[in-house]
Amino acid sequence: MKRVLGVALGILTAIGGFVDIGDLVTNAVVGSRFGLSLVWVVGVGVLGICLFANMSGRVAAASGRATFEVIRERLGPRAGLVNLSGSFLINLMTVTAEIGGIALALQLASSVHYLMWIPVAAVAVWLVIWRVKFSIMENVTGLLGLTLIVFAVALFLLKPDWGALAGQALAAAVPAEETASSYWYYAIALFGAAMTPYEVFFFSSGAVEEGWSIKDLIQSRIDVLVGFPLGGLLSVAIAGCAAVVLLPAGIAVTSLSQIILPVAEGAGKVGLAFVLVGLVAATFGAALETTLSSGYTLAQFFGWSWGKFRRPAQAARFHLAMIICLLIGMAVLATGVDPVLITEYSVVFSAIALPLTYLPILIVANDPQYMGEHVNGRPVNVLGMVYLVIILVASLAAIPLMIVTGAGS
Amino acid sequence: MKTYRPLAPVPPIAGRILDAQLHLLDRQVLDNDGVPVTTVDDVELSAPEEETVIAPGTPAPIITALLTGPVLGTRIFGGRPPSSRLVRIPWKDVADVGVVVRLGVSGENLESGWVERWIRDKIIARIPGGRHDPR
Amino acid sequence: MEVPIWWGNAPSAHRRSLLVLSVAFLAFLTGCTGQSGGTWHVLSTAVGDSASAIAAARLALGLDSAGKLTTAATSTALDDALRELQASRDTVLRLTPSTPEDRAVRQETLTVLDTCAAGLTTARDAVFSGNGSPSLADGDRALKSGADSLSQLKTKVDSK
Repeated sequence: MKRVLGVALGILTAIGGFVDIGDLVTNAVVGSRFGLSLVWVVGVGVLGICLFANMSGRVAAASGRATFEVIRERLGPRAGLVNLSGSFLINLMTVTAEIGGIALALQLASSVHYLMWIPVAAVAVWLVIWRVKFSIMENVTGLLGLTLIVFAVALFLLKPDWGALAGQALAAAVPAEETASSYWYYAIALFGAAMTPYEVFFFSSGAVEEGWSIKDLIQSRIDVLVGFPLGGLLSVAIAGCAAVVLLPAGIAVTSLSQIILPVAEGAGKVGLAFVLVGLVAATFGAALETTLSSGYTLAQFFGWSWGKFRRPAQAARFHLAMIICLLIGMAVLATGVDPVLITEYSVVFSAIALPLTYLPILIVANDPQYMGEHVNGRPVNVLGMVYLVIILVASLAAIPLMIVTGAGS
Repeated sequence: MKTYRPLAPVPPIAGRILDAQLHLLDRQVLDNDGVPVTTVDDVELSAPEEETVIAPGTPAPIITALLTGPVLGTRIFGGRPPSSRLVRIPWKDVADVGVVVRLGVSGENLESGWVERWIRDKIIARIPGGRHDPR
Repeated sequence: MEVPIWWGNAPSAHRRSLLVLSVAFLAFLTGCTGQSGGTWHVLSTAVGDSASAIAAARLALGLDSAGKLTTAATSTALDDALRELQASRDTVLRLTPSTPEDRAVRQETLTVLDTCAAGLTTARDAVFSGNGSPSLADGDRALKSGADSLSQLKTKVDSK
């Protein structure tokens, strides 16, 4: 019974924790401009993150080593440092976007300007990292994030023309008023939003934090394989709401306040209350994960003591690094730069940086010295190679497309 | 023209063979409580002085210490760090070499932990809750 | 014993030509976007963005009067719309039109955008006013007239 409850909890938190500010913004933007014609990318991204998270979780459980320790050992200090710089900067950008997201969600709830909420959000994130137990942190934000299911409920209450929606999703075509290059630019953004690299740093380090062994792998596999696709459905519901309400009204999403309008239309003030709780929980949870990830990457690369399971005094540099990251994020946001804009860039840069983390994990997952008998099986490797190609193509195409489309405008 | 004597054959060794680059370099070092201490940047050998003639029958050099320290810069861009920058972890403290290097001593007294200790004592431990056990 | 892993050597001619090629490629790509950045393109984008902002404001106001949105959420949506409008207005202000026709259409766009901004302010006052003056209907009327002028302008700009 306890085991079943554990699996259920794991699945629920995986669903609730799947969506972050990147998924919210990108799916709503895409839904409001392209309808459901890019839904297939969410599918590709979800399968990719399942594969990738599973592999890094297995590496962590079999060898006890988290992603960036392995990256430094395998790539050496020079290529490792290049990798660290890229991954760390993009992660820092995501931290900034998530904190901005918390503040924007709190503004929607209170009408107090979001800049006032930024210090509050950053301090709250730090306090949880400083004080709260890892599993409690994960479960609470994951379960509260489940309230975002209200997007799916609202979609049903809006009584859309399901046939037309299915038509958009199945016969994917570029809408008349958009160009093919913007279509592909947003395809990459959506892919980057679903497969954010921080999820992998976090997943593998979390496995070490919770002391996974090989026998915990089955549970984690169920959590990932059931939870992430359902989380992907939540992303699709966000895009669907935008496609049903905002696209016909000619609204191209540029702010968080527009993302919630369809929910209010479909489910009224009750729906609004749920979506606000969900927004705060999802962005807060992701802010915790990305802040921890920035500490994890630095500490693992430089060989510092790390982990939330230790007293802060036993992982001093790790905690100091996270405090500095939060301060940098606050300083960037204090300049008044739009958090939604940071988010839109961060998902594309995530797609660009994906090969940096994906490739070393794929290599180590095949290394018997680390993995013993738990090396990748043949089917996983075939799928892994297919995704390696997809990830490389997306990564290489991102910057040219960004320039041609003027970042999708 | 110097002529080189052929190298003596590798003496039969009982146990595992370690490749310094593959199994030691950039490996994570843990102390006896499993707390990460640092990573391995270099190893110190009991090599004879340069330009000395090695008499036949001299035993092969052995690793005397693992070296670490703030030397990432020279490792990446080349050059040689002053030896004062390198911090030694004597080989006798090493308990096991696997996917990590385990030490048989506590990291608390190792010289390589001074940055961590300084940040702990001057900053982190002074923030309320810094010594609170999360578990 | 230092174990060099990848001691890099000086950039070879091959590497240098690769660098030149990639810079040329990037320059080509920026050229692609530069071409389409004329006065009419900027105006079209600005008018389109503003129309989207006004549509969002109208939707929010409609939901507010239907009791589906809280005051805080409505006022945030209106603020966001106003911000988007200001950003569009700034891009129009930065234009340096060379022909009298360009100057005239820029002036017209600025006038329409100002009408829209005034409409948004009315809508905002309506949300916060306790005594119903201006009423939500007044706000919606002001926004609707703004949206109508924008769509007329859009047709004109896009026909160019």
